[in-house]
This record gives sequence, C-alpha cells and structure tokens, in this order.
Amino acid sequence: MRSLCKSLVVLLVLTLALPCIPALGEAAQEPVTIDFWHHYSAQSAENETLMNVLIPKFEAENPAIRVNAVSHEWAELHDKVLVSAGSGSLPDVARCDIAWLPEFQKMGVLAALDEQPGFADVSGALLASTMKTAEVAGAHYGLALNTNSKILFYNVKMLQDAGVTPPATLDDWADALRKIAGTDANGRQVWGWNEPALSGWNLCPFIWSFGGALVSEDQTVASGYINGPATVKAVETFAALYQEGALTGFNSGDIPMTDGFGTGRYAMMLEGPWKTAELQGAYPDVAYGTAPMPAGEGGSISVLGGEDIAMFTTANQQAAWAFMRFMTGEYAQTEMAKCGQIPVNKAALASDTVKSAPFAPFLDAITTAKARPTVAAWAEIDNDLTGAVTAVISGQQSAQQAMDELAAKVDALLQE
Amino acid sequence: METKSKLNRLQIGLLLLPGLCVFGVFTVYPIFRLLLMSFFDWNFGAMLRQPFIGLANYRQVMGDDTFWVVFANTVLYTLVTVPGQMALGLFTAVLIHGVTRFRVTFRVICYLPVITSWVIASLVFRYVFNTEGLLNYFLGQVLRIVPGNIRWLDTRWSGLTVAMILGIWKGVGWNMVVFLAALQQVPLDLYEAADMDGCGAARKFLHITLPGIRGTLLFALIMLTIGGFNVFTSIKMITGGKPAHQTDTLLTWMYYKAFSTGKFGYAAALSFVMAAALALLAVLQFRAMQARDAKGGIGRA
Repeated sequence: MRSLCKSLVVLLVLTLALPCIPALGEAAQEPVTIDFWHHYSAQSAENETLMNVLIPKFEAENPAIRVNAVSHEWAELHDKVLVSAGSGSLPDVARCDIAWLPEFQKMGVLAALDEQPGFADVSGALLASTMKTAEVAGAHYGLALNTNSKILFYNVKMLQDAGVTPPATLDDWADALRKIAGTDANGRQVWGWNEPALSGWNLCPFIWSFGGALVSEDQTVASGYINGPATVKAVETFAALYQEGALTGFNSGDIPMTDGFGTGRYAMMLEGPWKTAELQGAYPDVAYGTAPMPAGEGGSISVLGGEDIAMFTTANQQAAWAFMRFMTGEYAQTEMAKCGQIPVNKAALASDTVKSAPFAPFLDAITTAKARPTVAAWAEIDNDLTGAVTAVISGQQSAQQAMDELAAKVDALLQE
Repeated sequence: METKSKLNRLQIGLLLLPGLCVFGVFTVYPIFRLLLMSFFDWNFGAMLRQPFIGLANYRQVMGDDTFWVVFANTVLYTLVTVPGQMALGLFTAVLIHGVTRFRVTFRVICYLPVITSWVIASLVFRYVFNTEGLLNYFLGQVLRIVPGNIRWLDTRWSGLTVAMILGIWKGVGWNMVVFLAALQQVPLDLYEAADMDGCGAARKFLHITLPGIRGTLLFALIMLTIGGFNVFTSIKMITGGKPAHQTDTLLTWMYYKAFSTGKFGYAAALSFVMAAALALLAVLQFRAMQARDAKGGIGRA
C-alpha cells in the first residue's frame, strides 16, 4: 500500500513538472511578443491584409519577434489607451489617429523616436507634411502610417435635376445647396448637403476655405483667429444653410450619411476614401462623381486625416521599432494601398498600384489639406467648438457672440 | 456560558468574513480611492504627476455651466419618471389585484418591458422617434395631422422627453409587482369595515390602501429616485447627449469627462456631488414619510 502511495506521489510530481521541461530548453530562443493595437475594423480588408500578409511576412523576416495585433473601435481605442495608461497595461505599438498624438505625448506615455537607429532615413522616406503630424515640441513621437483627406461627393442625378453643376467655389456651393433643397418627386424632404457632425473634422474645411483659422500659426492663441471675421462668416453661412433646410446630418434623428446619400436624400457630402468602398457595397447603383472642396478666399482646403504609428515608453523598443519600420516601408504601404489606405511612403506613392487606385482623386486634396491643431487640449477644444456652433445653428447665439466666448475658452485651454 | 457566546460570536464573525472581504475590496476600497482621487488633479494629461489640489475639482464642477444643465436634466428626469412609474404601476397593480381570472397573464404582460434589454429598448425608441422614424410616418403619412417631420430627438426638451417615456414604460412593470405584493398584505377586514361604514371606492383607496402600503411606497420612491439619478443607457443610446451635451445627464456627463477627456478627478468629484444630492433626497423622503406617519395611519382614517 505504502509503495503504491509513493509511486502515485512520484507520478504526480512528474506530471506537474512535465510542462516545464520543454520550456527550459527553449528559454534561450523564445521570441519576444509585441502588442499592436489598431483600429482597422475587424471585418475589413485592411485587417485581412494585416493578419494574413503583413504580420506573417514581418515574422518571417524577424523570427525573434511575434506580433499580437488587437483590433479596437476607433473611439474605443482612444479611451482604452487613456485607461490602460492609468493601469500600466499599454501595448508596445499602436496605430493612433493623428489628432490623438499631442494628447498622448502630454501624458508622457509616448517614446520619442529621434534617437532610434536609422530614424532620419525612415522618416525621410515618408511624406514631410504627414510626418509633421507626429512632431510635438521639436521631437517625433510617431511615424506617419497612412493619410487621407476629404473631397466632395455628389449625386449626379440630383444635381442634374436641380440644374446645377458641381460647385467650384463656396458661393456656387451655397447656391447649389439652396436650389437642391426641397422635396423630391415622392414628397420626401431632400437636402443639398450632409454634414454628420459639428466637430473640427467637419467644420475646418469650411473655416479654412473661407479664409479663417482656429488658432495662430504657433498654436498658442485663438483670439483673433477662431473669432476672426472669416471664421465667423463660415459659421454664419453654415448656420444659415441649416436653418433654411439646405443642409443637415448632425442631429440625433437625421438619416445616416451613407443611407441618405445612397437613397437620394442628400445630394452632396465631403468624405474620405473609405466612402468609395462603402457606397460600392451598400449602394452600387447610385451614380456619383467627385470634385475638390469648393474654394473660397482661403483656397480649396480640406482637412488632413490619417494615422500615425507610435511606440509607448513601456515598449520593447527594439522589437517595436523594427515593426514600425516594416509598417511604414514600401512593401507594407503598397499592400495596404491595395485595400484603400493612402500610403505616406514616397516610393509606394510612386507605384502603379497607387496611381491607379480608387483613391487617386484624393491625392491632390492631400497636397493642399491642412492638419487640425496639434495641441494637447485638442479633444476639449473640439468639444467646445461643437458646443459653440450648436448654439449658433439652433439660434441661441449669434456667430460672433458664440465664437468670442469660444475664443476665450480656447485661449485658456492652450495655456494649460 | 460565556465561552459559548464567545464561540458563537467567533462563528458569526467567520461566516461574515468572506462577504465583508468582498464588500471591502470591491465597494469600500474603490469608494475610498475615488474620494482621494477627487482631491487630486487626477487627469491623464498629468498622469505622472498628480498634485493635491484640495477642493478645486469640486469648485470646477460647481462652476461648470454644463454641470448645471446636466444636473437640471437629471432632476427633471427623476421628477417626471418616478411619479409617472409609481402612479401607473400602482394603477395597474390595483386593476390586476381586482381581477380574479388571467391575473398571471396580465402580470407577465406588464412585466415584459422590465426584462427587455435597455439597449434594445433604447434602439427601438430611437427608431420610433427618429426624424424619419415610425412616429413621424404615422403622424404625417397615415393620420396626416402634421405637415412635416417633427425633430423629436434633436432638441433638449423633446430628446429628454423620449428618454423619460422609455423610463416610465420600462419601470411600470417593476412597480406593479412591488405594489401588488404590498396590496395583498393590506388586511381585508379593514375594507369590510369600510363597506359597512358606506365608504366609496375612492375613499377606501385613499384611506385604507394608500396608508396600508406606505412602507412599500417609500421603498419604491427611494429606489426609483436613485434609479432616476443613475439614468445612463437610454440617454447614451437615444441622443448620445446631443445637441452639445444639452440632453446629457449626470452619469453620461461623468462618463464623458472621465473616459473621453481623461479628467478623472473632475468625474470623481462629480460622483460625490451626486451622492450627496441623493443622500439629501433620501433623508428628506424619510422625514416626509415619518411626518405623515405621525399624523395618521391605518385605522385612524
């Protein structure tokens, strides 16, 4: 009996120890795993390319590194980084909206890249205007990963029926909106323009093209810019068109943008390259054209969007940098271009894939588009801008009054 | 004898320990940390240095125009939905209490909204009240009583009203069940005595039923007031606080401040302001009920 007990104990110990044995042998060459958070949507072609083409290729080239890619919703990723920073559980690398970088930098969670091996070569291979979005206080906290901008989409039939051509100037644009607005043959209300929100991403193209600005060149002061005559005129025009029923889209009860455009309720919108695929999928029969953002006194200026790839201070820097170099390299950028991501790598931009891509019309807009202010308080400024413009369009305040109040608030935020 | 009582106490202590541990770790400790957080500049912009700033967060909350908007919204939501749910719940309970057949069926039908998911119910309400939604279609195309679409979700008051209707619709069932149980506890002989005195239905309701379920009324009032202050999902799903935080309530605003702007200190201070308001309300409600107790109860009607 006793010997049976003994042998059982030995067996038990051996069983428990078994999983450790191979680990001892492998410890020396076990690959490091880096976490990569991104917001390519889980079902998208971009995510397919990332998971099935890019990461396998990177891991084959760098056998000592494994990449654990995690997909998040766009807005969720921002909040997730905030929360994870507090609990010390940040990933190694993340794909960040260019608007978030200054905020994350101020939190002190991003690693400056200027000292990384070969930084000058890597950043020199990318578009200078897009690398600007990763620059905070003279240092670089990310590499530009992809870029985008918005151009005008118009419903061909709706414009024809209203007897207007795609507007080239802001005056034409306002006239066209007024002519299109009204009811269609079925008695349903139609609008000339859809604007899905009232944030900087939506309003900046109008403010800039009207010749206005949000903040000074050095991004330290808003008074005189955000409440300057051109900005106020842009807000007034926008509010007047809304009140006349010529544009809508930002209310909770409005028809969603793509559905409204696809079903002939919105005649025009300013949208990014992703809209091409979305319309193709949901409304393949709708005939639409594209044109640049209508020009005003400030020119035809759209808003620069896009993402940077950034490394956190807690990262395995060597592995993270290798992955960032790979993702901004010509191969990865060309592969991503095939699924609609506009590259920032100059060599990839010169390739035939890019020149014949569906996003080709956006390439011109990118050269003149401007980035939103790269300041840490941008999220709050953006929120206050929405509040101020909402007060104007709902008729509670005049544009001048609302923007004057906003200017004082933004001045204070810029000083924080 | 003494050892036995000591042993008894030890046993009670040991049995309570797991519960107390869980309560301590997951409730008391986080509340304590939150209280500390409310005195610090605990925002992610200053993550690595979180200076003690005393009552500055509380001052910021109190001096914030949006806070007063969302506070007023929350109070209004509570003032409308709590009496609304209670009145309809009590009415339904009295009706169901009075019938003898299909009582269970009626109860199940009334209780269905309670077990519906908040998210799904909110989405359905959103669909119904959309500018191009079902209600506008019905009013404009079927009944033809309104010329154009009404923007239900796009202004402060109408957006809040939609959330309130949802709150009442969803809460009536819970009130019905609670009041039905209470109604069954009211002694029948009181009604018989009232019958002999020639009391009508209304007087019986006012002087027997209501005093008889007073304890339950107070319980429901306090629970629903807390629930009203905690409204979140419906607002988040139906209006998302639009336009420009005009339909936000305390919790959606707190969520926005904490998770979208990273100002956790502000959000923590806001949560204590809210807790203080709730505590004050609960005390007032108790006092009011006690005062009424002193004036009269069952049997003295």
